Amino acid sequence: MDHRHILDSMGSALLAVDAQGKILFLNRALAVLFGVEPREWAGRPASELARLVQSRSGGPAGLRLEGMENVEESISREIEWRDEKILRHFREDGAPLRDASGHAAGRLFVYHDISREKAIDRMKSEFIAVASHELRTPMTSIKGSVDLILSGFAGETSPEMQELLEIAQKSCDRLVRLVNDILDLSKIESGQLKLNVTHEDLTEIAVHAICAAKPLADQTEVRLRVERPHPIPLVAVDKDRMEQVITNLLSNAVKFSPPKKEVVVEILPHDGWVQCSVIDQGCGIPEKDLHRIFGKFQQLGEGRRRGGTGLGLAITQALLEEHHGVIWVESRVNEGSRFIFRLPALGQAAARQVEEEAPKDPQTA
Amino acid sequence: MKLTKVMVVEDDPDIQTVVRLSLKMRGVADVLVVENGEECLAQVTGYKPEVILMDVMMPRLDGYETCRRLKENSATRDIPVIFLTAKAQQYEIGRGLQMGATGYLTKPFDPMTLHSQIIELLEEKDID
Repeated sequence: MDHRHILDSMGSALLAVDAQGKILFLNRALAVLFGVEPREWAGRPASELARLVQSRSGGPAGLRLEGMENVEESISREIEWRDEKILRHFREDGAPLRDASGHAAGRLFVYHDISREKAIDRMKSEFIAVASHELRTPMTSIKGSVDLILSGFAGETSPEMQELLEIAQKSCDRLVRLVNDILDLSKIESGQLKLNVTHEDLTEIAVHAICAAKPLADQTEVRLRVERPHPIPLVAVDKDRMEQVITNLLSNAVKFSPPKKEVVVEILPHDGWVQCSVIDQGCGIPEKDLHRIFGKFQQLGEGRRRGGTGLGLAITQALLEEHHGVIWVESRVNEGSRFIFRLPALGQAAARQVEEEAPKDPQTA
Repeated sequence: MKLTKVMVVEDDPDIQTVVRLSLKMRGVADVLVVENGEECLAQVTGYKPEVILMDVMMPRLDGYETCRRLKENSATRDIPVIFLTAKAQQYEIGRGLQMGATGYLTKPFDPMTLHSQIIELLEEKDID
């Protein structure tokens, strides 16, 4: 069978462009999608096809076929297309086209209709938002009632009643944290998290995070300290979210540290990155568990007993990925763990720009 | 600052009780609870509360619209409105403040500190 018939039977739309940007082939699905006749277009510039499609009302946003024919890497991206008033979403997979000897000979574009997946994603996010709202209302009544009874406002309680109510109170607080974490993670995963990015010194953020984690550390007299031996470049981050990252790592380190030990936040410049390590002298993580530590609901050892939701590290990793950062862990059982993350450092030009943009005189700013 | 007269706009009867009791515990004796925005608008001028604690999602008239109408009316414009709601996402908080609210408290709230949080928000507003 002719390969053309095979490609014409594909559900996804396909377009092949040669090294000069001329159309080598387009399959039937692409012809239907773009509303063109395949035979009329073979050998004509892809840029002309792009212009024609985009000139129609409601054409695809961000379709770019010209100037791409010699790009070496594979690029996937999403494009939106308003087709007869219905918004459709496509994933465009662009890859270099290679001849029999493996030399670059143009580019191949494949368009997959992902509108259904997008709609399901949106429904999932809406469901989670509504469900967390609906859960918060009864939780408010339970937590409020238990807190008020425990305060003694409603009369005396026996020691047994006190103990049982404290269990209810602790479980309710845990439920609240769980709902908040699920909502947070679903927002990040569905791309709905809006980052308010500014240029920041990570040391200052770490100092704030230490203040937030201090009450927890004080309970077991664990000491918290920031170490920054060298000047470090600024990073482009959402300050609140980055404080959430470091506070998450710090509270884990404190929870797994024996009393009176030390937790250190070390910040270093590292080859175009800013590296931050949260180092504890706790029980450590067995090697067999290291690979699943950033998974959802992966609580190791005594995590659950210590009030964790099992989502903290998954949120931490997802937040760092949103900032183009990476995180990993190094650990030895009975010696401690070191959670290390890196964020791209801002270049000197960007740092200078921050200085220039900063208001010199608050009166005139 | 001492609170004496608070209107609570809330449709959930259990939460009404928790809010009323947590304010009573801190010495706020006069708390009027109404079930939705319409009732709030009907009773606010007669009751003249020092502050209104307002839920967002309520039948008949929601909290955002009620707040907007309170701020439109010269007789009620100056009564501070504090949202007390489970709608805790950032854009929702922003929307509440855009409607002219003095502050935003999220559910579940801590009944032990609810009173002091309200006072803090009212004092911040006075400083502004």
